[in-house]
Amino acid sequence: MADKEKRRSGATPPGMPEGNATKSDSDREFLSRAGVGELLRGAILKMVEARSDDPIGFLADHFCNLASVSETGTAGYSDVDHFSDGPLSAGAQEQQHLNRALWHLRLAHHSQRSAFSNNVRVAYDLLNLTGPLRRSGEVPQGPDVSCTDSPTEGGGGGGGVKGGLYTQTLQCLCSEGGVPASTSAPLLQRLHCQDHEAVPYDIFRHGVLTCAVFSDYIRQAQRLYAEVCCPDEGPASRALCLSVLGTLKEALETSQGCEANVCDNSNMKVNSCLEGNVKALCYLEASAKISPYRLGQAMAGAQARGPGGNMDAKEFENAAAELFITRVKVVS
Amino acid sequence: MTRVNRFNSPVPDHEYLADGDVLFYLRDAVTQLLDHQQEYTTFGLIRYFAEYFSSVKNSNHVLFREYNYIRATPHNRASFIRVFWRCYRQIGKSGDLLSTLEYRSLLQLLCPDFPLEMVQRAARIVQMEDVVDCLMSFSDFLYALQLHFYYPEFLNSMLLIYQDLLAGKSPNTVIVPTSTSIDLLRSVAAENISKEKQQQQQDGVDPSTLAQCIDALCDRFKHSHPPRSCMREVLGQTNKVYYYSFLMSLAKHESINQTIGALPSRAEFLIDPEMDQDLDKLIAQISVSPSSNSSGSAVGGLKEEHPPQEED
Repeated sequence: MADKEKRRSGATPPGMPEGNATKSDSDREFLSRAGVGELLRGAILKMVEARSDDPIGFLADHFCNLASVSETGTAGYSDVDHFSDGPLSAGAQEQQHLNRALWHLRLAHHSQRSAFSNNVRVAYDLLNLTGPLRRSGEVPQGPDVSCTDSPTEGGGGGGGVKGGLYTQTLQCLCSEGGVPASTSAPLLQRLHCQDHEAVPYDIFRHGVLTCAVFSDYIRQAQRLYAEVCCPDEGPASRALCLSVLGTLKEALETSQGCEANVCDNSNMKVNSCLEGNVKALCYLEASAKISPYRLGQAMAGAQARGPGGNMDAKEFENAAAELFITRVKVVS
Repeated sequence: MTRVNRFNSPVPDHEYLADGDVLFYLRDAVTQLLDHQQEYTTFGLIRYFAEYFSSVKNSNHVLFREYNYIRATPHNRASFIRVFWRCYRQIGKSGDLLSTLEYRSLLQLLCPDFPLEMVQRAARIVQMEDVVDCLMSFSDFLYALQLHFYYPEFLNSMLLIYQDLLAGKSPNTVIVPTSTSIDLLRSVAAENISKEKQQQQQDGVDPSTLAQCIDALCDRFKHSHPPRSCMREVLGQTNKVYYYSFLMSLAKHESINQTIGALPSRAEFLIDPEMDQDLDKLIAQISVSPSSNSSGSAVGGLKEEHPPQEED
């Protein structure tokens, strides 16, 4: 703006302040006529909600999405008609929704609870093909979808995400998080829903959160193994690995009580502050257990007891995964 | 970037917004929009913002912009260095040596008001003396320019510290400039350049003392600086530190290069056939985009550089 005014100052001598005033007025008028304010406000609000690690990338994607939506004429997901005569096949559309939902889920780390919850909500609504955003309190006409295994028809029935889509989301989350398919398979066994089932929001959130935490956990386990094992010397000794795993197990047990509470109380906003504090305490204790000192102690103890063969990275990872997965509630 | 602390208390919104220069880009987007109201309204507003932020994300946004814009954020600085490399990599390939003024002309093709002073500082690092018409290789020059262009505030402060140490001040009394304005630092540094040139040949500075002062500077410095470990590593390799050789070692240091993230390593500096395709696409894009101020001549200039052997 300053540059423009400098350029203009040749034409409007300093004794005529109206010239400058008119210029910024006309700018303001242009901006309000074009709706720039609302456009940017909406973008900034979304950005702050999502708390992405890459705000510029987020804005680029946000505006590109907006542009393609307005250019192709699809008016969002509340338009029932476009399922029958949309230009894309149902499968391709689903894939598109899945990609966008995954993009939303990647934006914020799961430890940023409120931003992550927002993003999960947005992703859920994206995947929920059956109509406009359903908030709590609205009862769909079909079978009661608060029970998890109502066998409704996919795509047209109750107000939930298709089971198949849900499972696919979880699979993508795990693989993007760096977890090999074989390691995540047992977890997905516990979390998945049948293709024909409609998945309500709570289950969706629980599944997504569990996968996100699991990815972090597996990465941490991989790092732990790298600490314990020197690559030049071959796989790490079994005894050493077992004691590290033992420490990990203790840490999980400490935090387990809190995790269970979190899952049950996820809808009770009244307790959320209390829950936050309790969780913080648990994580502190858990991380103390897994601290280098404790680990060092465990390792020293293992070396004294003597090794019984070696354990390679894959085995370690699977064992660590098992510790985690046994704690996951099965979705029934 | 620390956006979350360990106990999940969220960073307040205004802090989050201030962290990544996002507001700067939003402001610039609106300013550009106002400067080209007619064109962009026909183009479509949403599409305009989408293109603007996509180009920022892809580091294509600095071409033909004014100097104040390209130096405004670390991302812009790195992007500009990268664009310069992409546009003129052929010079490196052909092995031509150019003078300071020639490099400056090349820079001005991409940024019309790129200052001579910045080019001279980079040249000084390469040449280790105040001779302006020495010829330099493309890679030497660009790595030196990268260092000075990306960390100007830090280098200015360091020069003052170095001069104080040379003058015999003890490290405890060396003034660590933190909030002095950049322009003031520049003018002081400029005054001392000729003094420094004489001392350069005779004296050096004790590396551990300099390291100590640099540590103190980094502790309080509001601007970005090269990673301390890299600087300590360079200082640890010598018994006496001379300012420009220190800077040249920093310029050539691979970790610093990777931290900035704009240029490939020296080994790969000239290798990249895809870049030629990208460059053609870039030129085509620029010549139709409304944001280029001098699209005709600049595009012509770029094309002329391509087979440098044919120039007379």
